[in-house]
Amino acid sequence: MKGRNFAWLIVISLLLGSLAPGALGQKLTLADVPNPKVWMEGEIGRYGGTLVVGQISDPRTFNPIVTQETSSSIPLAYVFESLVTRNLDTLEIEPSLAESWSVAKDNKTWTFRLRRGVRWHDGKPFTADDVVFTWKVIFTPGVQTSARDVLTIAGKPVTVRKIDTYTVQFRTPDVFGTFLDALAGVPIVPKHKLEEAIAKGGAEFNKTWGVNTPPRELVGTGPFVMQQYIPGQRIVYLRNPNYWVVDKKGNRLPYLARFIILIVPNLEALRLKFQAKETDIHAFRPREYAEAKAGEKAGNYTVQERGPAAGTEFLVLNQNPKGIKPPKLNWFTNVKFRQAVSYAIDREAIANQVYGGRAAPQYGPVSPANKFYFNPKVRQYPRDLRRAEQLLAEAGFRKGADGVLRDPEGNPVEFVLSTNAENSERVAMGNIIRQDLAQLGMKVTFAPEAFNVLVGKLVGTFNWEAIIIGLTAGPEPTTGRNVWHSSGSLHMWNPKQEKPATDWEAEIDRIFDQAQTTIDPKKRKELYDRWQVIVSEQLPLIYLTTPLTQYGVRNTLGNVRRSPYDFGQIWNGEQVFYKQPYR
Amino acid sequence: MAAYIARRIVHMVPLLLGISLVSFGVMQLAPGDFLDELRLDPVISPETIEQMRASFGLDQPAYVQYLRWLWRILHLDFGYSFSWKVPVTWLISTRLFNTLVLSISALLFAWTLAIPIGVYAATHRYSTGDKILTILAFLGISIPNFFFALLLLYVAYLTGWLPIGGMTSIDFEFLPWWEKAIDLARHLVIPTVVLGTATMALLMRQMRAQMLEVLQQDFIRTARAKGLAGAVVTWRHAVRNAINPLISIFGLELGGILSGAAVTEIVVGWPGMGQLTLDALLKKDYYLVMGILMMSSVMLIIGNLVADLLLAWSDPRIRYD
Repeated sequence: MKGRNFAWLIVISLLLGSLAPGALGQKLTLADVPNPKVWMEGEIGRYGGTLVVGQISDPRTFNPIVTQETSSSIPLAYVFESLVTRNLDTLEIEPSLAESWSVAKDNKTWTFRLRRGVRWHDGKPFTADDVVFTWKVIFTPGVQTSARDVLTIAGKPVTVRKIDTYTVQFRTPDVFGTFLDALAGVPIVPKHKLEEAIAKGGAEFNKTWGVNTPPRELVGTGPFVMQQYIPGQRIVYLRNPNYWVVDKKGNRLPYLARFIILIVPNLEALRLKFQAKETDIHAFRPREYAEAKAGEKAGNYTVQERGPAAGTEFLVLNQNPKGIKPPKLNWFTNVKFRQAVSYAIDREAIANQVYGGRAAPQYGPVSPANKFYFNPKVRQYPRDLRRAEQLLAEAGFRKGADGVLRDPEGNPVEFVLSTNAENSERVAMGNIIRQDLAQLGMKVTFAPEAFNVLVGKLVGTFNWEAIIIGLTAGPEPTTGRNVWHSSGSLHMWNPKQEKPATDWEAEIDRIFDQAQTTIDPKKRKELYDRWQVIVSEQLPLIYLTTPLTQYGVRNTLGNVRRSPYDFGQIWNGEQVFYKQPYR
Repeated sequence: MAAYIARRIVHMVPLLLGISLVSFGVMQLAPGDFLDELRLDPVISPETIEQMRASFGLDQPAYVQYLRWLWRILHLDFGYSFSWKVPVTWLISTRLFNTLVLSISALLFAWTLAIPIGVYAATHRYSTGDKILTILAFLGISIPNFFFALLLLYVAYLTGWLPIGGMTSIDFEFLPWWEKAIDLARHLVIPTVVLGTATMALLMRQMRAQMLEVLQQDFIRTARAKGLAGAVVTWRHAVRNAINPLISIFGLELGGILSGAAVTEIVVGWPGMGQLTLDALLKKDYYLVMGILMMSSVMLIIGNLVADLLLAWSDPRIRYD
């Protein structure tokens, strides 16, 4: 008797359970969006609450096409979206406004099916017209956008045409291996709001949707709607009630009711605000790690350690005959000289003194944060003064009895090292490097200067000897083409070459040309693995260290997962929730 | 007097012209231009940068850029900011009120406290109170503003009595008017104290020195001999005479009301003109810098004029033709 009732209980529970959305793997759906995107990672949250975060600078514009710095692009990233997006947990491209796509056999024709039911914040439907319009805006002469450069291959633009209301087709002039990565950075803007503006021409369009625009005009498709902007103080967003993303149970996201970005121009004040619980998420600097951990209990937060940062810092020696003359040109163009310098640099001292121990030595151009492309098999340069001296001796350099290193012609090795004085970390690194190289007998004069002066020398006069500087990086190395291709204007050690000056630079050119037209990421990885090995052997840029990231996240928050590639944005903001009723 | 004022106002024109010329010239002397940061971005092509240079007019020689700017100013068109792409006048208008509030509050704080304290220090010379006030004054003059601001922010964090910088709370819009006033006042405390104490220290010492000098004079002895009460002698007679140089200082401070205190504003996060100016200067945002400079210069010149007039009003010995 009891057994039979129990069995019925089980059957009925299973039946009821299967009615729950998503339980039997049924498709989750919303009344207005037949095929919403489902967040697979993370927990199910609760609705409500206001998340407050801080940023250092004011946004400069609210026009997503025209933004050039993160202080503007991050606030807009919550409002505007692209056809595809990069999931920063997996670092893979995922559908966003487009729900699926296919590429034809010629690898040049991409067809995207757009998500139905997506609406702009003012209620109008998102359609193919908006995508075509966005393309028109990007390629209108006079519009100041970096998107145009990204979508132009060998002078020819990527074109788009509308197939039907929810389908668009792109044609790339050549096989565009990283087309999806490029698309992830192009925000789609509403035709019905910006038609008039673009009709007035590119120059006028640049001024459209400036920071003096009433926020209700900034109509996007994103999880948050900008409600208010008080210059110099804060940006306030409200939840988008028509958002097209759901959690695993079918609940429409975002969970948060309100989202606020405070503008706090001072790093110390920003940190104090986090510790005083005025903001709930904060990116600590590496040397603040110990303090951050110590304050966890009192501040009710946890320090999320998310691994190495995405960018790189390096020392570059000038190999440009237009900017530097023999004998210095002869030293810097000698690979053994550069390798000796790399062996002499005490990267551990840099990690300890500049980053409080929270940094690891870096030898190649890709940071370990790039889990897919990072090649650990690059040549390593653990500190070894004897090896450095040996290499110098092989190159004909001799250290005299007076301790001065001299080249084969007898010239003493002396040069000027520079960096931008505003960056205190680079200045500290410069001092350490200067002392390290002094042990080899090199006389290095360290002279930091203003950022503008440095840039003028790097890309204008080429009149410099050695510089410490860094580069930010995205998950796709192709975006660094301007740095690595010998014809690039940011090929710092010898820019804008008419033809490659060395064999290895020619090989790197071939790698980047080929990678650009390789669609399969695994084949791209093979090419980039080789690139990283070449760079670690030839050392046009002598990499130093990569700092680790550490983020403070209040314990009352759920689903916050920062990434070194988020550049300050709470990239999964629609998933974030407060575990208890707000404050 | 009217003729004098009219003459001073007419003098403003060549003065402003000279100021604009020198400012523009000095900005051109600094290397680089607004586009330097973009030049180091690997994604932006050199062609795009050249296009931007042309659209901002940065490819023209310096004197052409200056003349273009001058022509627009004469039509009261302050131009567009490079980095913000909004009219300079709108940008300034968003910050003007904030800076005014802060400057006036610091001014009031400094002056209403400095004068009585200075008078007290003078009338009770070398007493314990005077010595303590002297020490505090020297402290106030020596501590750099940014450090003092950081210190106060840290104290605010430790005690929880005051908000940590900023100008308004996040729920400011939803408060009734009187709570709004209190909120603003609470945010004003730290920057006012930082800015006010520096001036207060100076003023207090100045007031004390002047009072000491005036109190030695014969007419004070006469007044006392005639039987006037101590307070009347001090306040109605001595202070009125001692305060002359401070009036000039006041006029100058009035002129500086719009320049903003950049460093303090940045540390405390007060959204004022100082922040805007520093940022524009560092980014070489020509039109914005020139717009702000012109406004500050006008205020300074008017401030000087007011100082001179106040002096004439307070001291009958001073007359202008």
